[in-house]
Amino acid sequence: MSSTEPDLAEGRTGELVSGLEAFLSAEWGRPVRVSNPTSSSAGARRNNVLFDADDGRERLGLVATIMPNSQIQLNPMGAEAAMRDLARKAGVPVPRLYATCLDSSYVGGPFFVSERVEGETVPRRVLRLVHERGIGELVAGQLGGALGRLHAIDPGLAPADLIDPGPGNPAEVALQWAGDAFGQLLEPRPALALGLRWLERELPGELPERSVIHGDVRNGNLIVGADGLRALLDWEGSKRHGDPMEDLAWASLRMWRFRYDDQEIGGFAGRAPFVSGYQSSGGAFDEERFHWWKVLGTLRWALGLAGQTAAHLDGRFVSIVMAASGRRVPELEWDLLMLIRPRCPAEPG
Amino acid sequence: MQYRPTTAELLQSIGDLLNGEVLRSAPLALQHQVRVAGNLVGILERESTLGPAAEGRERKRLAALVGHDGEVTDLSAELAGRLRTGDDPEFEHQAWQVLVDIARDDLAIAKPGHDSWEGE
Repeated sequence: MSSTEPDLAEGRTGELVSGLEAFLSAEWGRPVRVSNPTSSSAGARRNNVLFDADDGRERLGLVATIMPNSQIQLNPMGAEAAMRDLARKAGVPVPRLYATCLDSSYVGGPFFVSERVEGETVPRRVLRLVHERGIGELVAGQLGGALGRLHAIDPGLAPADLIDPGPGNPAEVALQWAGDAFGQLLEPRPALALGLRWLERELPGELPERSVIHGDVRNGNLIVGADGLRALLDWEGSKRHGDPMEDLAWASLRMWRFRYDDQEIGGFAGRAPFVSGYQSSGGAFDEERFHWWKVLGTLRWALGLAGQTAAHLDGRFVSIVMAASGRRVPELEWDLLMLIRPRCPAEPG
Repeated sequence: MQYRPTTAELLQSIGDLLNGEVLRSAPLALQHQVRVAGNLVGILERESTLGPAAEGRERKRLAALVGHDGEVTDLSAELAGRLRTGDDPEFEHQAWQVLVDIARDDLAIAKPGHDSWEGE
C-alpha cells in the first residue's frame, strides 16, 4: 500500500523530539540530544521517523518506528523485536535494534529505535537505482539468500509469543481465510470464485517441515543501496510455523514489480538468481508450492482490497483510499486469471 | 435531459482541477488522498463513456456461458456460485476465457494497459 502517513506537523515535531530525548536518556543512562527528525515514506501502517541522537560521545543515525495507538498490532512488539534479533544473528540483513519502548506516553505510541540503514525504500526509487546500476540479479540473489537463511532457523528458537498459525498445513489455514473472505464479498466475483476453486483443488499436502517466515517480503519492505540489498524491514507479520514458499511467492507477485512485469522478483530480475540464492543458503525450492502460494497471495490481495472497500462503505474506516481499493479488484482478477490459465485447450464445441 | 457539459466532460474538468491546482496546493498529508481522488475521477470518466457498452458485452458473454439471459448482476452471481462449488473442467475452461474478456473490459475502465502483460 502507498503511504498515507502525514508528514510531521510543526507542533508534533517538538513533542516527538522531547519524547525521544526523554526515553533514550533514561534508557542509556546519560543525556541524549535528538535532532533532524524527518518522517520517512517507508511503511504505510506505521510512522517511521529518521533522527540523529547525540549522547556526548557519538552521534548515531537512528529510526523510530512508531505504532499509532489505534492500530492493531499483528505481533506483540517484544516478539517482533526478538524475531528481528534472531534473524539478524542468522545472517539476514535486519537493521540493528537499539531499544523497544512499550510505553505510549513518550511519542504517542509504542515504538522501536533502530539503526538507520541508508538506501532507497520507495519501490519505484529502488527500481530506478537497481536498473541504473544493473544490480537486479544481485538484489534478487541476495533476497533469495536472506530467505534461505531465515527459513533455516529452528522454529523452536522463535519468540514464544510470535504468531503461530497452529498445527497443520499453513496452506489449509490460508485457504480457510480466503474462503471466509470470499463469503463476505459485497458482490460475488466469478473470477475470484474460479481462483478459490483452483486453490482448493490444487491444495498442497502437509509440509515435511515448517519454517519461521517473514510474511511480507516484497519490494517496499527492503532497503537497497548501490551495493545491493541492505535490509529486510517490517517483521510485524512474521510467523513461527509457516510454509517457506509463502515468503518466496509473495515476493514474486506482480503487485511489487511496478511496471517491470517481466522481472518476476520485485521488478529486479527473473526467478533464476532468486532461487539460486535461496538454494545456496540452504533453502529447498518447491515450484508447485511456490505457484500455489502465488495464486493464494493474489487472491488474498484481491479479497483484502474488497475488505478495505467494505470497511469504508460500512463506516469502520472511511477514507477515499479505502474506497478506491475496490476499483483495483479487476487488476488482481486479471493477475489471478493469468496464474490459473488452463493448461490444455478445451475440446471444441 | 441536462445541458452540456456531459458527464465525461465534467469529470475531466474535475480531474484536471484535482490533479493540478488542488494537488499542488494540498498539504503533504493530503497529497496521497488527492492523487487517489484524481485517479478515481479518471476511472469514472472512462466508465461514463465505456461502461454502458462494456456492460452490454458482459451480459451477452455471461448469458451465453450460463445458458440464459438476465440482469448482469444476477448472471454474474449465478456464475460465481457455479464456479465456487462446481467440478466441470470443460465449463471452467470456457468460463476462464469469458472472464478474461470481461476483465479486459473492466480494466479498460479501471486500469488501462494492465492487461498488456499476460504472463505470471
